[in-house]
Amino acid sequence: QPPVLGAWRRLYAAVLGWLLFLIVIFYLFTRRFTP
Amino acid sequence: MRPADWLVLGASLALMVLYGLWRSRGSNSVHKYLLAGKTMPWYAMALSIMATQASAVTFISTTGQSYVDGMRFVQFYFGLPLAMIVLSMTAVPIFHRARVYTAYEYLEQRFDAKTRALVTVIFLIQRGLALGITLYAPAVVLTVILGWPDHAASVFMGVIAVLYTTLGGVKAVTWSHFQQMLIMTLGLAAALVCAVALLPSNVSFLDAVTLAGAAGRLNAVTTNVNWNDRYNLWSGLIGGMFLALSYFGCDQSQVQRYLTGKSVAQSRLSLLFNGMAKVPMQFFILFIGTMVFVFYVYQKPPVLFRPAELERIEGRADFAPVARRHDAAFESRRAAADRLIQARRAGDRALQQASLEDYRQAQLELEAARRQSVALVEKAGGPSGVNDTNYVFLTFVTHYLPAGLAGLVLAVIFGATMSAISAEMSALATVSMVDVYRRHFRKTGSDHHYLNVSRGLTLFWGCYAVLTAQLVKELGSLVETVNLLGSLFYGGMLGVFILAFYFPRVGARGAFYGVLAGEAAIFACYRFTDVAFLWYNVIGCAVVIATGLLLSPGQAVRPDLRRAG
Repeated sequence: QPPVLGAWRRLYAAVLGWLLFLIVIFYLFTRRFTP
Repeated sequence: MRPADWLVLGASLALMVLYGLWRSRGSNSVHKYLLAGKTMPWYAMALSIMATQASAVTFISTTGQSYVDGMRFVQFYFGLPLAMIVLSMTAVPIFHRARVYTAYEYLEQRFDAKTRALVTVIFLIQRGLALGITLYAPAVVLTVILGWPDHAASVFMGVIAVLYTTLGGVKAVTWSHFQQMLIMTLGLAAALVCAVALLPSNVSFLDAVTLAGAAGRLNAVTTNVNWNDRYNLWSGLIGGMFLALSYFGCDQSQVQRYLTGKSVAQSRLSLLFNGMAKVPMQFFILFIGTMVFVFYVYQKPPVLFRPAELERIEGRADFAPVARRHDAAFESRRAAADRLIQARRAGDRALQQASLEDYRQAQLELEAARRQSVALVEKAGGPSGVNDTNYVFLTFVTHYLPAGLAGLVLAVIFGATMSAISAEMSALATVSMVDVYRRHFRKTGSDHHYLNVSRGLTLFWGCYAVLTAQLVKELGSLVETVNLLGSLFYGGMLGVFILAFYFPRVGARGAFYGVLAGEAAIFACYRFTDVAFLWYNVIGCAVVIATGLLLSPGQAVRPDLRRAG
């Protein structure tokens, strides 16, 4: 049903956002501690 | 190993197996035995998916890898969340709607029996090759670390896994995975806390992270573009996504996990949870390896972590200068580490830079001494290029962890091995029963008959795993080749499922010859190029799709079998 399909899309977007967040955090972590 | 360790190890494994068997009671039909009656909630499937992928090698090899090479392996998993989203949108609703037991059963509905048979054979070869190694690889390390006789660890783990998988079917596998993941979380947290707590009292957690970073061990993201580099951001995102699509979308040992879901929504949630939890979990495991590295900055490590190979060279006259070089490098690295920490605290930039140079120089010297000892092993008649990566973490665990906690970490290793092979033998039995026996040998048996055949096939694949694990030792360095050969089949399998889901005009002929062309392309890449293996699936998949489209001028298929929800 359309309303639920929208909920799934929000969940997919949340997973993508989480991945992007992790990559940025890991990148900053690498830059901070690798002289 | 002390009595408390054996007690914790035994209790953890008993809890895992008995809980799985208790939750699987009543698996008295084929549907319940192979698909858990489609009653599984998302959290059980999610943990089962993660436990199936996290074999023992994940723990002992990954921690060892970050000890010697840093954390860049975490990038291998960056494509996994992307794959979970794609599979949630396509494979999950399509497989659920097709009401299949195996992914390959769907291929006959979408293409024809020939394509289904081809992909079934590819799966049986690929998983069959890997099954014995999945059991052998951790068993050989455990045998050395625990001082057990040859074959004892693999027979012990194999027999227990065969028993509960044959008795309880996929429900026993899933619920034992649930317990295994809880034990794993506890065990790994204990290992990390201990690695940091065992550092000298003047070394704080931040100091430890600084020392790991100074040795280049915290390289979690590398953005260089290099086709021949195994792990960087781009190979991880693109190559890792294709590998995850293949593994989670086409390999029955994973597809079976989410086919047990009570609805499309529950199966989707299990994959998406895996997508969110997997990268942090791998980061955590790799980080443990870096803390073990810092622990050995202050506690002298053995020149080699493989006891048998070290014993082989210890009595030789030409080993003495190598050992002295190693000891001197260890002492100067420790002194440089102390100076680096003090300089950082004092904010003295010049001293920080100077001690960093000393620290790195001592690290290079230590690695050179290790390489010399590897060459000595070969000179003394041992294996060439001896690799002790897999022995680093378990040496630390058995020598330095407090009583009870070492047993808990070993329970993680034993449990992970049993989890991985139980899922694989269950998947192999399901494919053998549904795609081979029921499709080609006996199409009209009773449910009771097929249930007994399923149990018999589970027992067969379990015995096959235990027996081939005993023979793997004779393969020697061929083990890696066999393992790699298994991963070469994924590109063709992924390609045919992409054709099925996204290219409605491609028919059976295009799919069948597409798979053959894709596999040929992958083997050509492996044989004639230096392209890193993560790209093989991308190339193979592209060839399957191109061939499929070329051979299918405008055929149509039943739309109800390809539309995603």
